[in-house]
Amino acid sequence: MISVPSAQLNRRESGIEWPLWAAVLGLMAIGAAFIFSTTGTTEMARGVGWHSWTASRQVVAYILGLGVVAAFSFVDYARIARWSLVAYWLAMALLVGVYIFGTSRHGARRWLDLGPIQFQPSELAKLTFLFALASFLSRPAAELRSPALFAKGLALALFPFALILKQPDLGSALVFLPTTLVMMLVAGVPRRFLVKLVGGAALLVSLIVVDILVAPPGWRIIQLQEYQRHRLLVYFDASFAPRDSTPEQRLRGAQLKRQMSWNVEQAMISVGSGGLTGKGWGQGTQHKLGYLPRLGAHNDFIFSVIAEEKGFLGSVVVLGLYATILFTGIKIAGEARDRLGLLLASGVVTLLFTHVFVNIGMNIKLMPVTGIPLPLLSAGGTSVICSLIAIGILQNVHLYRRRY
Amino acid sequence: MLVFDQLNKGQRPLRHLALATGLGFAVLLAGLVRVQILGRQRFQQSLQTQSYKAVRVPAMRGRILDRSGRELAGNSPRYRLDVYLEELSPDFTREYTRIRRGILSARGAGAQPTPGLWTRLMSRLRREKTKPLISTQENEGLWRAARFLVVSNVVAQVSTRVGMPLTLTESDLHRHWANSRALPLAVLRRLSPQQVALLTEQSWSMRGISIELQPVRSYPHGPLASHVLGHLERADDYSDEDEEAFDYRLRDYRGVAGLEKAFDAALRGTAGSKSILVNSAGYRVGETIASPAVPGRNLVTTLDLGLQQAAEASLSQVNGDERGAVVVLDVRNGDILAAASAPAFDPGEWIDGVSQARWTNFYDVPKRTPLMNRITDGAYSPGSTFKIVTALAALENGLDPDRTYRVEPNPANPAKGAYFVGRHRIGDTAPPGDYDFRRAFIRSSNSYFIDAGLKAGFDRLLATAHRFHFGEPTRTQLPGDEDRAAWMPDGDEARAGRWQLGRLANFSIGQEVTVTPLQLAVMVSTIANGGTVFYPRLVDRLESGDPLAETRVEQVRPGQVRSLLGARPEHLALIREAMRDDVLADEGTGKASRLADFSVCGKTGTAEIKGNGFKDKVTWFASFGPFESPRYAVVVMVESGGSGGGTCAPVAKRIYEHLRDRGLSAPKGLASLP
Repeated sequence: MISVPSAQLNRRESGIEWPLWAAVLGLMAIGAAFIFSTTGTTEMARGVGWHSWTASRQVVAYILGLGVVAAFSFVDYARIARWSLVAYWLAMALLVGVYIFGTSRHGARRWLDLGPIQFQPSELAKLTFLFALASFLSRPAAELRSPALFAKGLALALFPFALILKQPDLGSALVFLPTTLVMMLVAGVPRRFLVKLVGGAALLVSLIVVDILVAPPGWRIIQLQEYQRHRLLVYFDASFAPRDSTPEQRLRGAQLKRQMSWNVEQAMISVGSGGLTGKGWGQGTQHKLGYLPRLGAHNDFIFSVIAEEKGFLGSVVVLGLYATILFTGIKIAGEARDRLGLLLASGVVTLLFTHVFVNIGMNIKLMPVTGIPLPLLSAGGTSVICSLIAIGILQNVHLYRRRY
Repeated sequence: MLVFDQLNKGQRPLRHLALATGLGFAVLLAGLVRVQILGRQRFQQSLQTQSYKAVRVPAMRGRILDRSGRELAGNSPRYRLDVYLEELSPDFTREYTRIRRGILSARGAGAQPTPGLWTRLMSRLRREKTKPLISTQENEGLWRAARFLVVSNVVAQVSTRVGMPLTLTESDLHRHWANSRALPLAVLRRLSPQQVALLTEQSWSMRGISIELQPVRSYPHGPLASHVLGHLERADDYSDEDEEAFDYRLRDYRGVAGLEKAFDAALRGTAGSKSILVNSAGYRVGETIASPAVPGRNLVTTLDLGLQQAAEASLSQVNGDERGAVVVLDVRNGDILAAASAPAFDPGEWIDGVSQARWTNFYDVPKRTPLMNRITDGAYSPGSTFKIVTALAALENGLDPDRTYRVEPNPANPAKGAYFVGRHRIGDTAPPGDYDFRRAFIRSSNSYFIDAGLKAGFDRLLATAHRFHFGEPTRTQLPGDEDRAAWMPDGDEARAGRWQLGRLANFSIGQEVTVTPLQLAVMVSTIANGGTVFYPRLVDRLESGDPLAETRVEQVRPGQVRSLLGARPEHLALIREAMRDDVLADEGTGKASRLADFSVCGKTGTAEIKGNGFKDKVTWFASFGPFESPRYAVVVMVESGGSGGGTCAPVAKRIYEHLRDRGLSAPKGLASLP
């Protein structure tokens, strides 16, 4: 071992990761522009003041998020990580709080009402979980061979997973699986454990699928909400009526299916009708005429608005910006000073990538419909600030990277 | 690879992560290519079909004009009151919310206090399933009721404003809402100008209503020339249309009789279409004209408005409830100057549909049959007017017009003559005595013409009738005219010897044969103009409805010769002179049409129709004038009249009077032969 002076090791390297922030700023500009395109005209028509527009609130969230990132960049991520468990349990408490005090929107209890702002603890839970798991796994790789430690690490993931699943928010809960998996892989957890984890996850997913598609109504092993079941049925293009149903039931099932697949179909029509170059900013008819769900066009389905108005070229630009962020993130992980930095960066990359993939995939029917936001683009303060903090973590790891 | 180069230091997991991420982006990119590049046509099409509704917009119907361009059928503005559902849709929601809240509180949902924390916690543990207070079906009904409340409120306010009870049933509204939500709901189809004024006044306004102006077929002269013009009917089936799929169609009409039917395609023009942009609730958001309608073409007829009016007025003076027809032809070219059929009807009343009561009491009356066009579709025995044919056949057979023929008295009525065919006796209306051609013609002696006809023989008689194209379509382009309405004796049957002399005798005096008034008019014209059989011409030209558009005018050539009669001029002159004398001579049957300063020439006819238990008469006056330079042919036919001379000659006289008073100079626009 070569001894390196601690002062030198901890030196704050100057340097902002410019490609990363250029991509972030680009996404912010796109987000604000298209949230305005989606909601601006109706809000203006309703006489809502400019400071209350959804787009303005989004910009405020951007600025707030950037502020938080700037503040945190003065502190070494390793220092922050010391508080990870405290933050983790605080977030878990908030999730339990949501369960009791939370406000419910559209059948799911996901928000905490704090007067003027509403706050979504599951977003915070993702971040604190990231820190907790990263610092837990940052111990020497050799220690991770113990099954007990593996179980403990898994428990860290399963706890928020279960709480968020209960909200119910299946999509957000499932985000924990790949993140956990990738972080453990990077940390060097033995393959045999990971195979079991993957096997377990695969078993869970296949159980859900089999349950929905094949099992008779009485057999439900995993209690899903009715709408979740419907979304998955739509995704698998399966019949809504049980197999041994009367023609009348079948008819009703088909009707219900048409209703339930409406959002997906409309998102596909939005994206597809955009063609190569799109209809132009503010010219998308799908959201203007209400074909895209009014409540979802500016958040979960913002990608289909962009794709409709800017076409394939616009979609590629968005993908490119995300790719820039993620690959820069992987590069930062590679340059990380220590295992903690490596784990944090790879965790953030996985988390963001999962969001991007699931959300965009949902807009083109590659993925079932879930309420997972598109980082930075979807309207929603909590999501934006948490995404920015996640990217801030990358920046922090970069800032305190090792120098050769 | 920028990232990969830096990941070469044994960081295999990161390389895997980079690979997986890259793969993920590739999948997304492929998906986007599939949807946005390969599938864009399909999705653009779905976008079209779900957000644009194509509406068929009928074109303005072409006008029908008289020969001088005066309007016989046109379009007049009609004001319609529409309710725009999309403007009321916020009210629907408001009303729905109100009703729903009322029901919920009635069912005790609102009365419960907000449950405390403990209750909420416990209820979660107990996993209570709350049953919805309002079922989905009931909810649908609530929406329906809310919509009806809002719209009927609007209708009620309009109703008090215009002072006219308006009814809108819930099922009407629901049908409109379900089938044509994107279109406005027509509440009142005919607004009077006063009502329009009341509704558009500044001090009164109401959201959701609008007054729509639309052109509707109008017939400014009411029943005038109704059988020539025809009438319209709402067109509800569009099977003849090209496959172009319309979601909605605005009300259109099609011609079902007369010129409206014969020239329906030209008059109708080409329907346009507009696209209505609808939102996800199916309400209208905006509209664009996809293709403008091309107005129908104007049809210029050969009719003369003044003469037509005179003809109809004259015919109506018979007794006011007559059944009959009048045709006025220009003998020099076959132009139909007037064509009247009585009883007439008002084609305008077909626009909004004829009520059942009106149909049974007016239209569907036996014998009256107002819809029947007696000019071209009515087949009647020509009676004595057919003696013109017999005369020509006899003259060509070598009849000496100056030789006298003695008519025997009728044993049953010695004041009248009779003709004996074997043991069969045919009565005469003329007295017994000596008759030469002229006297026989003007007294309309049956015996003389039966004798002449029998001498000429069946074949010659039938051939002469065919030279005037009796028994053939007159080709006026009026629907139905192509059918052989009137019939001629079957030559083969007669020649085979199955015809007894009595039948041939009857044929000579205009029985055993039927003609249409128009066919008879063609015959008289031919006699008058010296032997040219013209096709009667009713349509002069089709011209563009848009005076600025440079479209070809479709002209129907005037004076189309059908055939030449091939009779010797002196024979025709003899007949013309006899016809003149029929009017001029005091013992002539047609003297009731005698007119100062205008020498009318005519032949009367009274055909008796005997059937099982009924006896009826068809009376005729077939004429032309003036004698010196024949110009007009006028044929008058009245069913159940008294006699040709007594009933029809005065009708013709009034028409000639009109022609005389206009002066012998051609009426404006009358075509003259080159």
